[in-house]
Order: sequence, then C-alpha cells, then structure tokens
Amino acid sequence: MEFSDLIRTGRAQAKLLRGPEAPPLRGTLCLTGHHLLLSPGPQATSELWLLLLRSVDSIEKRVASDSGTITLRCKDLRVLQLEIEGVEASLDIARSIEALSSLESVITSFPFFYRPKGLRLGDAWHFHPPERYYKRVARETNAWRLSEVNEDFSVCPSYPRAVIVPRSVDDGALARSARFRQGGRFPVLSYHHAPSGTVLVRSSQPLTGPQKRRCAEDEELLRAVLLGARPGARGFIVDTRSSQAAKQARMTGGGTEAKAAYPGWKRLHRPLERGQPLQESFVRLVEACGDLQQSTDSWLRRLEGCCWLAHVKEALSTACLAAQGMEREGACILVHGAEGTDSTLLVTSLAQLILDPLSRTMAGFQELVEREWIQAGHPFQLRCAHSAFSHARSKHEAPTFLLFLDCVWQLGRQFPLSLEFGEGLLLALFEHAYASPFGTFLCNSEKERCLCEVRTRTHSLWSGLNQPKERRKLRNPLYAPNPLAIWPSVELQSLRLWQGLFLRWIRPPEPSEVAWEKVWQIVTDKEKTKLSQPTVSASEPQL
Amino acid sequence: MSRDTHPPTDARRRAAGGGQGRRGRRGRALEGAERGPGAKQPGNGGGARSPRVSRMASAPTSKYNSHSLENESVKRTSRDGVNRDLSETVPRLPGETRITDKEVIYICPFNGPIKGRVYITNYRLYLRSLETDSALILDVPLGVISRIEKMGGATSRGENSYGLDITCKDMRNLRFALKQEGHSRRDMFDILTRYAFPLAHSLPIFAFLNEEKFNVDGWTVYNPVEEYRRQGLPNHHWRITFINKCYELCDTYPALLVVPYRASDDDLRRVATFRSRNRIPVLSWIHPENKTVIVRCSQPLVGMSGKRNKDDEKYLDVIRETNRQISKLTIYDARPNVNAVANKATGGGYESDDAYHNAELFFLDIHNIHVMRESLKKVKDIVYPNVEESHWLSSLESTHWLEHIKLVLTGAIQVADKVSSGKSSVLVHCSDGWDRTAQLTSLAMLMLDSFYRSIEGFEILVQKEWISFGHKFASRIGHGDKNHADADRSPIFLQFIDCVWQMSKQFPTAFEFNERFLITILDHLYSCRFGTFLYNCESARERQKVTERTVSLWSLINSNKDKFKNPFYTKEINRVLYPVASMRHLELWVNYYIRWNPRIKQQQPNPVEQRYVELLALRDEYIQRLEELQLAGSAKLAEPSTSPAGPSPMMPHVHTHF
Repeated sequence: MEFSDLIRTGRAQAKLLRGPEAPPLRGTLCLTGHHLLLSPGPQATSELWLLLLRSVDSIEKRVASDSGTITLRCKDLRVLQLEIEGVEASLDIARSIEALSSLESVITSFPFFYRPKGLRLGDAWHFHPPERYYKRVARETNAWRLSEVNEDFSVCPSYPRAVIVPRSVDDGALARSARFRQGGRFPVLSYHHAPSGTVLVRSSQPLTGPQKRRCAEDEELLRAVLLGARPGARGFIVDTRSSQAAKQARMTGGGTEAKAAYPGWKRLHRPLERGQPLQESFVRLVEACGDLQQSTDSWLRRLEGCCWLAHVKEALSTACLAAQGMEREGACILVHGAEGTDSTLLVTSLAQLILDPLSRTMAGFQELVEREWIQAGHPFQLRCAHSAFSHARSKHEAPTFLLFLDCVWQLGRQFPLSLEFGEGLLLALFEHAYASPFGTFLCNSEKERCLCEVRTRTHSLWSGLNQPKERRKLRNPLYAPNPLAIWPSVELQSLRLWQGLFLRWIRPPEPSEVAWEKVWQIVTDKEKTKLSQPTVSASEPQL
Repeated sequence: MSRDTHPPTDARRRAAGGGQGRRGRRGRALEGAERGPGAKQPGNGGGARSPRVSRMASAPTSKYNSHSLENESVKRTSRDGVNRDLSETVPRLPGETRITDKEVIYICPFNGPIKGRVYITNYRLYLRSLETDSALILDVPLGVISRIEKMGGATSRGENSYGLDITCKDMRNLRFALKQEGHSRRDMFDILTRYAFPLAHSLPIFAFLNEEKFNVDGWTVYNPVEEYRRQGLPNHHWRITFINKCYELCDTYPALLVVPYRASDDDLRRVATFRSRNRIPVLSWIHPENKTVIVRCSQPLVGMSGKRNKDDEKYLDVIRETNRQISKLTIYDARPNVNAVANKATGGGYESDDAYHNAELFFLDIHNIHVMRESLKKVKDIVYPNVEESHWLSSLESTHWLEHIKLVLTGAIQVADKVSSGKSSVLVHCSDGWDRTAQLTSLAMLMLDSFYRSIEGFEILVQKEWISFGHKFASRIGHGDKNHADADRSPIFLQFIDCVWQMSKQFPTAFEFNERFLITILDHLYSCRFGTFLYNCESARERQKVTERTVSLWSLINSNKDKFKNPFYTKEINRVLYPVASMRHLELWVNYYIRWNPRIKQQQPNPVEQRYVELLALRDEYIQRLEELQLAGSAKLAEPSTSPAGPSPMMPHVHTHF
C-alpha cells in the first residue's frame, strides 16, 4: 500500500493555533505518510512545526465559505486548531489525516522509517533481556532458574522467550501448568525481595471452570514457590477482581485457586478497575480538565465524579498490600486478575517501586517498565490505540499504563528525593506509549515484536531517552539514593491530580520545567563545587 | 486500658491492610523513611551504612495504614527556639513558671488512650507519655486554646468518659480523661482556664512575662520611614504626614501616613468625617516606574440618603491626578455588591458614579468575616479528628474554603494587574478596611514587589499592611480571651497566609521563605509568646509599650533564618507574579490543616528539609568560592571565562541572589 493513495491533498496554506500560550503559526501545511508539517513562510523566524500523525486521537472539521477549520485532539491531550484556506483542501486534508492516523499496520508505522542522527539501530535493545534480571536473582538465591520453555512462544504467546521459574519445576510441568492458566500465563517470578527472601509471582487466572478442575503441576509450581522462599513459608494470592467477579469467571472457564488445592496460600480479593470503566474514567477526567466554561465551584465534585483518583488510591493500596505481605509478613505473593496482563502488572510493578531501591533509579525504572510491562505482555497496541478523545472506541483501550505512571508520580510527590527520575520521564513514557517514533511500545507481546522484527528495524526508546541532552528533562535533581522501602500515604487527602499531565496544556503560571531548570542550576552548581573537592560521593547502586 | 481498641476507622484501615494481623502498633523510626544513607551527615556520606540506617531499614513504618506516626507529628508541634531535653525535664522558656502537674489519660484520636503526665505552666500544656512503648509528647502553648469544656459527670459510666475537652485554634481538639475523685478535674479546669484566658482573670498575657533573649531585635525590622523611602517616597506627588502622630485623626491607623502632596492636613480631617472610623484613603504602595499607586481606606459614609462629601470626592480626584496619564481611578470594593448596598442601612455604602465621575467601581465578591469563620469551621469538621473519607472532594467543596481563597486571590490579581499595567491607580476598601482590604493590598503588593518575597520583606509587609494598619488581631484571634463564641473572631489572617502558600506552590522559586516559615507565623499568631500580633491597632500597642515589654516573633525567626529559607529561591527584580486562581490550581494546604493526622501527613518535611539545608550550605559555599574567584580574577584582570574553574554560563543567575 502506498501512503500517497491516502493523501488527497498534499499541501495548503494554513494557520495553526496551539492554545492560549503559544502564538499562532502561519505557513504551508504539508502532509506526508507519517507527519503533518507546517513550514512557515520565508520571512518567518520560527522553525518547521511537525506532528506525528499517529498521535492524532480525534479530528473534527468545520467549513466556512472559503476555508475550513480542523480541530486535532492529540493522544498526549493537546488540542490543536488548523485554519486552512480552501474548503476542498481542508476537507481533503482532514480525510487524509483521519486515514493516515488510524493505520493498523505495524510495519508501515513510522518507527520503521525513523532514522535519527546519532543513534544506531539495535542500540539499547539489549539493555534489559530477562537474562539480565535473572543474573541479579541468581546472586540472591538459587531457588530459581531461567527457563526457555517458551523459546518459540508456543507455551505462552504473551510471555517472553525466557522466564524465571522455581528451580525444582521442570519445563514439562511448566507447559502443563500453562495449559491450566488463561492465555498460558503460568506463574513466573516478578521480583525477588532479598531482605525477606520472599518473592512476588504473577500469572493469569486458573482455568478451573464450573467443574472446579485442578492441575497437579500448577499446584506443584506454587508449592515450589513457597519452598523456595523457606520451609513453612506462607503465601497470599492477591486477586485483582472482587470475589464475586472471580466466582462468576468460573462460568466462562476461568476461576480462582481452590483453598484445598493450594495449601499455604490464602486468597485476598482487591478489586481494581480495568478495561472499559477505567477508560471512561480517563475520558471523563480529561473532559472535566478541558471544560473551562463550567462553573468553577463544581470542579472538585466533578473531579470526584471521575473516580480517577479513587483508582489511583486503589492501585497504590493494593501494591502496598502486596509489598507489605512480603516485607512485613515474610509471605510470598502471587498476583493475578483474569488475563494477568493489566491490573496484575500494575500491582507487581508498583510493589517493586515501593520495595526495591534499584527500581527507583533511572536505569532500574526503565528496566522495570521493560520487564514488567513490555516483556510481560501488556498489550500496548490494543490498550493505547486511542487516548481520551477518540469517538471510534473499540473495547480494548484502557489507560492502565497511564494509571501506573500516575501512581509513580504520586510516589515521587510524596518522596521527592527517592526517585532518580522526574516527572519528565513519566510524561515522555505517557507520550511514547500512545504514539512514538521509537519501536519500544509497538505490538502487544514479544512474539509480535519478533514477527515484526521490531528490535532490528526500529530504534529503542531507551537509546533515545538516555542521550545526554535529555538528562535535565528526565532526571530528578534532588535524588538521593534511599535504601528503604517507601510507603506512600494512600489517603485521598494525600493524593493530587497530576497537573503536569492532565493540565499540561492548561498551563500553570510558572511551567514546572522553568522551576526545575532553576533547581537544576542550583544542584549542578553544587556538584561543581563537590567535584572540585576530593570527597568521595556516594556510589550509585549498580544493577 | 487496652491499646488494642482502636476507633472503628482504624479497624477498617487495618482490614484494608489485608487483615494479616500483627504489625507494629506504634512505630518507631520514622525519619529515615525517605532518607538515603548518604543524605544525612555529609561527613559520613558514601561509606559503610551506619548501624542506625540499617536498623531503620529493617523496621520502616508502614505509612499507608499505620497509626504510628503520633510521636512524629506531635513532636512537630514543638516550638522553635526551645531547647528540648528529652530527659525528664519539661522545656521551659525564660520567664515561664510551672504551675502544676497531674497524671491523666490523653485520648489520642489516632492511637487511642495513652497514660501520661501533664505539666501546666503559665505558657504551655506539656504532656509526656508514661507508657514504655510510646514516646508521645504534646507541647501546646496555652494561647492556642479557645475553649475548655468538662465532659462527663459524676454519674458517667464507661471508660475515659470523665475529663476535659479542649478546643484549639489550630484545627485540633485535645481530650484528657481524669479520675473522678479528689477534685482533680476541677483543679485542672480552673488552672487551665486561668492561664489560657488571662484577660478574664486580670493576669498578664505570657508575652509580657517572656524573658527570652535573641541576638536580633525583631522590633527594628519595620521602620515605616525606611520602607516608604525604599518605595521612593516622599516624592513630588506624595508626602509623609504626621497628622496622626497621637492617633487623633484615626485611632486605628498608624502614626505615619503617606498622602497626596496636594491634600492639606485640613483636607484629610474633612475626608476623615466621611470615611468609616476615619480610615481615610492613604498610600500603601507605589509602582517604581509608572507611579500608579495602591491606596487603602474604609467605606464612605453614604448611608440610606446617599450623602455626598465634596472633600472626599475632591480627595479621590487628587489621588488620581498624582499620575497625569490616568483618566479614571479604579475603586475595588472587596465586598459582594449586595453587602455593599446593605451597608447603606448602617450608614456605610460605596462610591456612586454620580458623585465620583472620574472613578470606576468594581465589586470583588469577597464575603465577610462571619462567612469565613463558618467556612473554616466546616473544614475542621471534615479533617479533625477523622478525615472525611467517602466523599472527600465534594465535602471539601462544600466547605467553600478554597472558593473563598480563590476570590481573595482573584481580587488581588486584579489590583496588581491594574497597577502593573499603569492604566490606573487603585483604591481598595471593604467596610472598615482592616480585613479584606488588608488581604487585597498585601497580596497585590506581594505579587508586584519582589522585595516582599524575601523573609525580611514579608515581615515588613505583615508589619505594615496588617499590624500597623489595624487588622484587629486581638478581636479576630481572641488572645487570652475566654469568649470562644465571640462573633468578632475570624480566620482572616490565616486565609491570607493560605493565599501566600498557594502562591509559593505555584512559584516554587520566587519566595525566600519556606512552608515552615508560614506555619511558624501561624503557630505564633495564637501562642502569645511574642508581642507581634497582640492588640488591635498601633495606638493600643503604644499604650501597652508592647515593643519595650515583649519580644518580637521576627527576633526568633531572624536569629535562625536558615531554618526558614527556601533553597530554590532565585531572586528576581521586577517580576510580577500572577498566580492562577482557578480551582484546578488551588489545593487544600494539607500540611497545615491536616497536620495532626499521622496518616495524612506527607513524609516530606524532615528529609527534604535536610536535603534543602545541604543544598543551601553548598550553594553558599559555591557563591563564596565564586566571589574569591572573581576577586582573584579582577586582580589579574583575567577574563573569567578563560579560567577552567570560572563561572559557568548559569552563574549570573545565581549571582543575582546576593
């Protein structure tokens, strides 16, 4: 397929409005296969303006007698307006944008064409293979091994090639356990908490069904998890559905672990919102934030009505529960919901941030996102196909990853020194998850990424982000390594709306970047003083 | 008494914690929860972990569901400048005398009853836990108490139902259970009443007994002549008058006033007859470049009959004419329109278009002291002792507190914008011109003039616009007064400080002071340890010789300034700050209003402050080095940029601080 088939009008004269803060831009509008460009006239001083078409979430067109107005609502929540000369041209451009921004094909997407200067293909893809995390686990315990049972993705299509499993369970047993779990997601190691010797394990729901089926290998696997921690260790199964919903799942072949079948394990239900309702909450929140006409005295009520902060609270407290079970009770934790690809990952990744100081470093956090979200098979392509504005809603979208980023932001707000990265990284991840020139968030699983040759044919986001010029944007200048667990306060009074994201385009008076820039100056000045003195600075923990 | 009986909310939260049972009931090591090993003692950085850190690492306190932070939160109430020895002694200020002590049960709303010994002095109530597993300390200045009630009677059954319930002005209540025998409650009630409300017992307020010495004298911070000179006054159009030297023109105004050059003292006297309580329009602030001014006063005495006063009309025109470019004087009446109209019935009113041709009047819709008091009461209802959980945001909304903050800020923004644009001078009044007017002028000045954003500048602002211009602190706060239901009480000054806090949140690098500075001011607004906020006006303070007989709060603060500094402060001249006063950008000041609740408290303060202090020290060091380099550089006449250790391109920025 040629992009040119979709481009009805290649260029037109237009004026671009970018919200109240930025001045309007006039020039020639050009449409390419992946971008919308506005090239200002020769006399203008401003540079070329560029928008990745993939980041357009919804498009609205209005025509007047001799011109048209296109409103582009972007996935990063920006709202842009284009005033285009000529009715025909504006309609054509609108239709072209519509068609090009919603192309399904992965291999014709921009990351496969993006070749930035200074980056080499293949770089940074090797940063975080499962083997790397296994090395760390192996240093701490020998109860676990790296299994390649999923080498060809036949056991579990949404798992990576290699997973970490109890040493005493062989690959055959894993394969049989996989048949007993939805989508083949048998229990695998998510995190080993060295101080307590306990582990965080994740999976999907067991396929007990109405007949309450059992699977000896699956039971054996979970027994081995407890034995690997220490003889007599207890475990908690954190089910992210209500017990009602878990029971109902039996009717459709799913279910929960029966008490008698899994001695030592106790089930807890912590229902987390997911899927459609979560997406709606996101949509309502963005609507409320953008609705500047509403009578202001109902803002807080409306914010409450969106329930977004309530979801943040629930996610954080469930993660605290899992972390506390390990750290305080010395228990192993298994987390799953139904498919084990959404709220499950939300809980396991947040629990690690709370417990694991390494995951709070720049490199460690990237590793966490890579391992617990991308490789763990969070279906980014389905979940992030559209953001909060799109009318064409399929039922797969859900801002689970955004909810994770929001929770991390709340942690950073409550522990301003403990995260090495700043709000900038979280904002970048949000943007790139929805639309990106990099290949990192493409596809729904490792299997798909392999088929599309994402690793060899696109650039990794990490190599883009880890360039020195991005440093100030992404790092927290106040970071001081903190070896302790960080227990957030999850009361609603302690949580805030993430203004930097949701009100990003409805700017506060002093953009936080300006403030942070000043902080950076003070801190880097400080570092200069430090460098000139023969003191040993605290060494950063190594992965 | 059993510690395991938690209030229902605790039980619920424990269930939320997984119902997994035992957990440290009352926590220990709290600080360190967010601190890295290197962050603390600079000398001890990087090396092996200190045993203290590893101990903490093994027992960090669960924040999200613990009830264990009481120690911590209560310790934070400690007043600065007191050397607290954690042995058996009770802290005592010079001049503080011990009255009594008694064994009581403190009914902590968060941790349940705790047996302790309470010590009462003529300044404070101090309670120390007698239980081995609790290091709880309460340290409450008696000035903070607004009401003491007896709970339970001789027939009361049930555990801990007999005792005292103390309502405080700083968003909390304290309950003590006492034994029913031997008049022990009556004694404690009488002593507390006597020393918490000295005015009713012809006793002096503690500030007059306080013999603290500081190496800085806070009373010298504000000198009106110097402050007006800083603003470039007097000039051709404005003069300083001593007409109110003996407070004869207006007993609630300061002795020294700045008025238009062309208005004679006789004019002022005639204008005074037409302004409520003789509070005539006088200058608060003048723009250094465009020379427009902020003028403050009280409402005109228009009354039902719509009286006019030629002198007042002429006077306002004279004010307008101090700046030739201006065709209209803008009048901001802080009140809602209807209230201003209603005020006519009691002789007040507002400037009508007919009478004041060259003026434009706008109402700012800010409600009166009674509305604000009720609003804050509602805030307390949803945050103490239990925080409203199910509908937090809509409950918060229904208090209207943030909405009032929004209106005050919006009004001040309008004042500042008008003046900064140079389009018009501004006259601000409400009814008497000592509540809403003070809020508006001082906030507008804070937005316009970066000098007021420094520590000393802010002290001067408070001293000038609030204290000297007769905000009725004694009536609004009720220092030493037992009349807790007095309709004159109102949190107007607190609201102002809240607005300042909102601004400091929105401009994290614009203020020299930090949150602790603001909280310290509020704590001593009530404490009665300093003379700063006593009495209603300057004339009363003069009569009582407050500056001679008491210590200033600014002495405490200025002798220990580092504690109150914002490390990210970057001084900027001539930058006007316009905060966003939309509800989306305002938030409840949790660290103040909910600071007693251990569950809500943010873990920020300690470690972050520690890091800030570090940064401050390093910055100072850096600047010192820079100065040395510059000295060396200028001696050699070398270009600084050629020197490898020379100042970076960011340098000028940092350098401007000093």
